Amino acid sequence: MATVEERIKAVTARVLKVPVEQIKNEHSFAVDLGAESVQSVELVAMFEEEFGIEMDEMGALSVETVGKAVEYITEVCKEQGVEVEE
Amino acid sequence: MTEKKKRLSSGEERKRHRLMDVKRPNFLEEIFPYELPPLIRLDGRVTENIDGKEVEFDFGAVKDRDILISDTTFRDGQQARPPYTVEQMEHIYDLMSRLGGPNGVIRQSEFFLYTKKDREALDRCRALGHKYPECTGWIRAFKGDFRLVKEAGLKETGILTSCSDYHIFQKLRFGSRKECMDSYCEVVDAAFEAGVRPRCHLEDLTRADIDGFVLPFIDKLMEMSEQVPEEQSVKIRLCDTMGFGLSYPGAELPRSVPKLIYKLNRECGVPSERLEWHGHNDFHKVHINGATAWLYGCGVVNTTLFGFGERTGNPPLEGAIFEYIALKGELCGIDTLAVTELANYMRRIGLPIPDNYPFAGRAFNTTRAGIHADGLRQDEQIYNIFDTTKLLGRPPRVAITDKSGADGVTHWINEFFGLKGEERISKIKIHKLARWVIDQYEEEGRLTAISDEELEAKVKELLPEYWEKYKGVKGK
Repeated sequence: MATVEERIKAVTARVLKVPVEQIKNEHSFAVDLGAESVQSVELVAMFEEEFGIEMDEMGALSVETVGKAVEYITEVCKEQGVEVEE
Repeated sequence: MTEKKKRLSSGEERKRHRLMDVKRPNFLEEIFPYELPPLIRLDGRVTENIDGKEVEFDFGAVKDRDILISDTTFRDGQQARPPYTVEQMEHIYDLMSRLGGPNGVIRQSEFFLYTKKDREALDRCRALGHKYPECTGWIRAFKGDFRLVKEAGLKETGILTSCSDYHIFQKLRFGSRKECMDSYCEVVDAAFEAGVRPRCHLEDLTRADIDGFVLPFIDKLMEMSEQVPEEQSVKIRLCDTMGFGLSYPGAELPRSVPKLIYKLNRECGVPSERLEWHGHNDFHKVHINGATAWLYGCGVVNTTLFGFGERTGNPPLEGAIFEYIALKGELCGIDTLAVTELANYMRRIGLPIPDNYPFAGRAFNTTRAGIHADGLRQDEQIYNIFDTTKLLGRPPRVAITDKSGADGVTHWINEFFGLKGEERISKIKIHKLARWVIDQYEEEGRLTAISDEELEAKVKELLPEYWEKYKGVKGK
């Protein structure tokens, strides 16, 4: 089973149309990966779908980097009882 | 250590202002109560230099002083458009009565009397039995025309008493001002004899010789009024026929609204309740000139619905209504929801109201920018002028364009489904619709706003679960 980080990078690559191998944990979704306003919303929606979770809109949209997203989603998965590979 | 005082280029000492840090916001609710239009709070006395002396005005007194609105939708308003049918006038009058409320904030409405249709419309409106607006007439300055007023059973009529030399010499072709004034006074006498209260319309006042003609004429009218019962005494309508009036202190006569009101009210002694301001919008000053007239002592502002009137129009009645509430600090029996009903009705009968027209246009409280939509979504008070849902039946809206963003689309959809508070759908859930909107512009090259009908169809297609939940039918 892929890790949270791998799954987040795969979703990010698909939504933002960037090669997955170029995505680094320290990358900012907006500045480095070019996510526009609607794409940020799409990313959150796709993460919810990927992990089967519900995220707080404000909290999720305030996450700036890939690495922070890994931390945030891992935490939400734990809270909502969703098993994931860390 | 003493702080070095800084001086401005004007020579005045620069005043420093200290930050008042707080943890709880101060929304200034005593001025912006939201359930009412923003209040106009006036304090202190205002001075104006008139004839070399400082004259004081107490604007704050307007809260307790009788100020009123009158209407000329069926006279001046009708001069700017094809005639209304009798049925239309009856319906508009009925709604106007509801708008002004039982206290008669809209106190009077004037009617032409010349044709059979004019008289039928007047009869039909009066047959509705409303106390307000009282119906008054409008006739030319011909003695014979009082027969029409008497036959119609009206107590008051407006008569043309134009007062600039353009009108006196060039239009009416009088040989002198005295000849003109004598002629007007004969008509006023005829009104008294007929038992009708004359309302003298000082046409083209803001281009007239105030000292040389207007004030002597007013003096004469006041003398004549002393000979008749109070209820018949002459009323004066100050007509800014060409929209030349200026509201700010320091402006000179004949264009100064403050000085004109002062001269008539406090030099000639015409009581406030017998003074009425009638403006035109040729220089975009029509509403503020009317409001200024109220503040400086004029009792009545004459208006038309949605400002429709000769050329650029008159003070908008609905604008005066909101000004009135803001000055008084309460609704005073006014039913503001009637503004929306009147606007809808006027549109149905072909009166064009621009989309961005205050209080009544289709888009007066519609925002287009995504960043504003985000504000609206978080708290509608951020971008809504007052509680437009309560006062006008018009919730704030967003129009969907390339600038709307996911926030705009989210606000639209929540308004569409009528969702409030916790029920509101998060923007995460509507991303498919937001993507469709963006693609319309980025992929399809669209240049127009997206209509409600198009969005509705897309909600049904892209968000069928919400459609089913809130509209009670299956999407797709």
